[in-house]
Amino acid sequence: MNILCFTSAKGGVGKSTVTANLSMALAKAGQRVLTLDLDPQNALRFHQGIPLSVEAGIAPCTLRQTSWLEACFECTPTLYALPYGVVSEEEREAFEEQLSHDESWLNRGLSQMEAALGPDTWVVIDTPPGPSIYMRHALSNAHTVMVVTLPDAASYATLPTMESLIQKYCLPREDFVDYGIIINQLDYSRQLSKDVAQVIRERYGPRIAGLIHRDQYVCEALAYDQSVLDYAPYSQAAQDFIECADAIQANFTLSRISP
Amino acid sequence: MNDQTPAPASSPRHQHILDRLSNVILSARIWDNPLAKLLLCLLGAVFFFFVISVPLTLGQQVVFGVICFACALVLRKTQGRLATIVMIMLSITASIRYMFWRLTETIWFDNAADLFFGTGLVLAELYALTVLLIGYFQTAWPLRRKPAPLPNAIQDWPSVDVFITTYNEPLHVVKQTVYTAQTLDWPADKINVYLLDDGRREAFKAFAEEVGVHYITRPDNQHAKAGNLNNALDLTSGEYIAVFDCDHVPTRSFLQISMGWFLKDKKLAMLQTPHFFFSPDPFEKNLKTFRVIPNEGELFYGVVQDGNDLWNATFFCGSCAVFKRDALVSIGGVATETVTEDAHTALKLNRAGYNTAYLAIPQAAGLATESLSAHIGQRIRWARGMAQIGRVDNPLLGKGLNFAQRLCYFNALMHFFYGLPRLIFLTAPLAYLFFGAHVFIASASMIAAFALPHLMHASITNSRMQGRFRHSFWNEVYESVLAWYIMRPVLTAFFINPKAGGFNVTAKGGLIEKSYFDWGIARPYIILLLLNLAGIAIGIGQLLFNSHADVGTLIINLLWTVYNIMMCAASLAVASESRQIRSNPRVEAQLQATLMFADGKTIACQTTDFSQEGLGLRIPVDLPIQLGDPVQVSLYLNNDEGTFPAVVAFRHQQQLGLRLDQLSVPQQVEFARLTFARADNWAPSWGHTTPDTPLMALKSVLLIGMRGMGILGTHMLDIFRPSKRTSSNESH
Repeated sequence: MNILCFTSAKGGVGKSTVTANLSMALAKAGQRVLTLDLDPQNALRFHQGIPLSVEAGIAPCTLRQTSWLEACFECTPTLYALPYGVVSEEEREAFEEQLSHDESWLNRGLSQMEAALGPDTWVVIDTPPGPSIYMRHALSNAHTVMVVTLPDAASYATLPTMESLIQKYCLPREDFVDYGIIINQLDYSRQLSKDVAQVIRERYGPRIAGLIHRDQYVCEALAYDQSVLDYAPYSQAAQDFIECADAIQANFTLSRISP
Repeated sequence: MNDQTPAPASSPRHQHILDRLSNVILSARIWDNPLAKLLLCLLGAVFFFFVISVPLTLGQQVVFGVICFACALVLRKTQGRLATIVMIMLSITASIRYMFWRLTETIWFDNAADLFFGTGLVLAELYALTVLLIGYFQTAWPLRRKPAPLPNAIQDWPSVDVFITTYNEPLHVVKQTVYTAQTLDWPADKINVYLLDDGRREAFKAFAEEVGVHYITRPDNQHAKAGNLNNALDLTSGEYIAVFDCDHVPTRSFLQISMGWFLKDKKLAMLQTPHFFFSPDPFEKNLKTFRVIPNEGELFYGVVQDGNDLWNATFFCGSCAVFKRDALVSIGGVATETVTEDAHTALKLNRAGYNTAYLAIPQAAGLATESLSAHIGQRIRWARGMAQIGRVDNPLLGKGLNFAQRLCYFNALMHFFYGLPRLIFLTAPLAYLFFGAHVFIASASMIAAFALPHLMHASITNSRMQGRFRHSFWNEVYESVLAWYIMRPVLTAFFINPKAGGFNVTAKGGLIEKSYFDWGIARPYIILLLLNLAGIAIGIGQLLFNSHADVGTLIINLLWTVYNIMMCAASLAVASESRQIRSNPRVEAQLQATLMFADGKTIACQTTDFSQEGLGLRIPVDLPIQLGDPVQVSLYLNNDEGTFPAVVAFRHQQQLGLRLDQLSVPQQVEFARLTFARADNWAPSWGHTTPDTPLMALKSVLLIGMRGMGILGTHMLDIFRPSKRTSSNESH
């Protein structure tokens, strides 16, 4: 399995949007993809056309000790989704308490899924912004980490926070491949956006896995419960997600080091 | 003749044998011995003399000609330079054998008319043969120089001054060149851009200040462009000088590609790159041959200059070149004695012992002249200037040049004397048809047996050597159009007074608001055409009604006249000016682009073309876009992106036209960097028109000739209405 984790040190950078659309781009590129929402907001499902009535998810499954497969939702024949699930505040605290003691929780769950979906599956994990127990689990298992940032000063300033987390949880592991940067909502008609993008580019160079243009089609697609790749395939954002998915497959996977 | 197969297709076995053979020959020890070399050359000369002079009967000559031509046809299908050299040898043999026979067997003049017409034709033929032979020498082995790499340490790169010369061109033409010059990839502390304005215009000074380039002007216009450059030479100090006409936009890689050779070759004083045009010249515009058939200039930049480079005789062409300052200063700056200061400057540099070089990579592009009259004006200046050089600084005389350099410069000069010989060829058969003059004392079959090998070998050999840059028969078209106009200035400048005539600036960036037929310019072609048509009528009349007519001679003369009619008619088609309403020509280019609408939605798309003022876009879906909608458009270069405000100015289904909307100066520079200054803009179109095959080329010229006849027919009535005549009306 290729375990790909989307993170950000700061909220509001459009991480769930990027996760959902990139998963779709990977699936459209012919990969079998499983998304895993580790964010208690449980919002990734809104991008994936999962009905509001669906309450299942990994949190309830874990608490009730049932198989994750019960919560697995088939969005398309090659794209599967595991929502966080609907839980009460007490349940969430209990869940997080459990995770803080159980280091192999994610590994066990993903093994179940691997048995069901096959070893070539891509697991794409969405995490809540900033350090959390969820991010710790995700980073401890990920092969590849994508840090999503906006081309603004505040987001740029938080990049080192993410790098130190990656330093701690990822870089020491032998099966870790690499981390990359995705700049979201890029707008070259704004000087600040352009300047920050330039600074990020100079600092991170080949680490930049994708540039996603600011595009109203992305928001509209969400309103219609679709990925932007389906809603407006001709849009620049759709094009950017496709290119980013290509770059991740080419430069940020295990196959890069062991072909 | 099998003209349908592309020439380079060859079986590897042939190539193998020829390559091996040439290696064996070249590696022979004997070439190290000067005496043996001399003896071999003498032996070759003796054999050659026999081959060209041995008299043969008609049958024998036909067999000899057929065998030689068959060899040439086999060689034509074979790759490699040895095959080319052997084809040249066969062609030279056929041509000199013809000329030997022509001079020794066919000249016998009974009366004054025969003497007059006969001598004229022989002299014209001798001229053509000389140009053919020197041309073979000049281009037999194009050097095909590659760019030399620059040192890794940027501190070792020299300082460069970029000179952009302007006199009376409109500001919008000059702007683009200044912007792209500012994008040149070179260390910022080692490059200075100078706008050399001989027009002393306040607006230009203000523009230079606004964009941050230096502005130089002077109180007079002495020595025109040469004087303008020399004035700036005195006021600046960079180690090298890159020279651009104000309508030649460089790509950003120009200096990085062209400077390497100066660091490698310390004697190098000048490096020239091709003049490439992104707008059609009047031939291409009026005949609709843009990017289909190589234009008039391409032969020079594609073949001749590369051949000159082998002999260290590359000419400076006035723009898109780099000079070493020391060297240029040491010969007294840019030459001011003639109106072609460029070629003369190179000649002086070569005389002073400096090297000149040519790099056949288009690294700049410009506007072609937009009307035939302006084009002719420019060629008249070149022709006059070269004739002036022949008079005041003849390359065959004087110090400092080796034999090969003298030949290269001499041929460049000789080339511009084609006016009179071309007119003789266009009228020669009329001497017989009109006056019964015997200019050629031989039977029709003997003429065919000697002349056809001469013409056909020259045709297929030149097609092989130049086909990428000059299609067969097009030389005649270009010469026919210009012959009448350049004849007098050349002959005057060379034989009478080299100082006659001033320097006329070639008008660029103008408009032709409505199509018209340029009767003034077309007059000589019409007269030639009518004369030849009359010749045809008389010839056919003789064939039909004169039982004593020499049928063979008549037919040869009639065929020749038909060929001449085709050339005159093609010239007429060129004089029919088609409309050109766009002051900023578009450049076709498929570039990645993003279109962003006012509501924040974006579309990934491709450009279809760009110009200084806007972009053509093809959008992937039909969207409700209105004319006048404000948008943002992004262009890319590697990882770089530039976004520009624009409005929708055109819409037809999925094709959009955008007009850039009030760009700031930095935005205009950035737009230039992402469009005109792209390093890979022009090279892909270089030498990649349809490959030449003589029969296809003949067909295309024939079709154009027929169109010319049609145009003449439709305008026929206007001849009798003098008030309708519009001659050389330039609109600026």
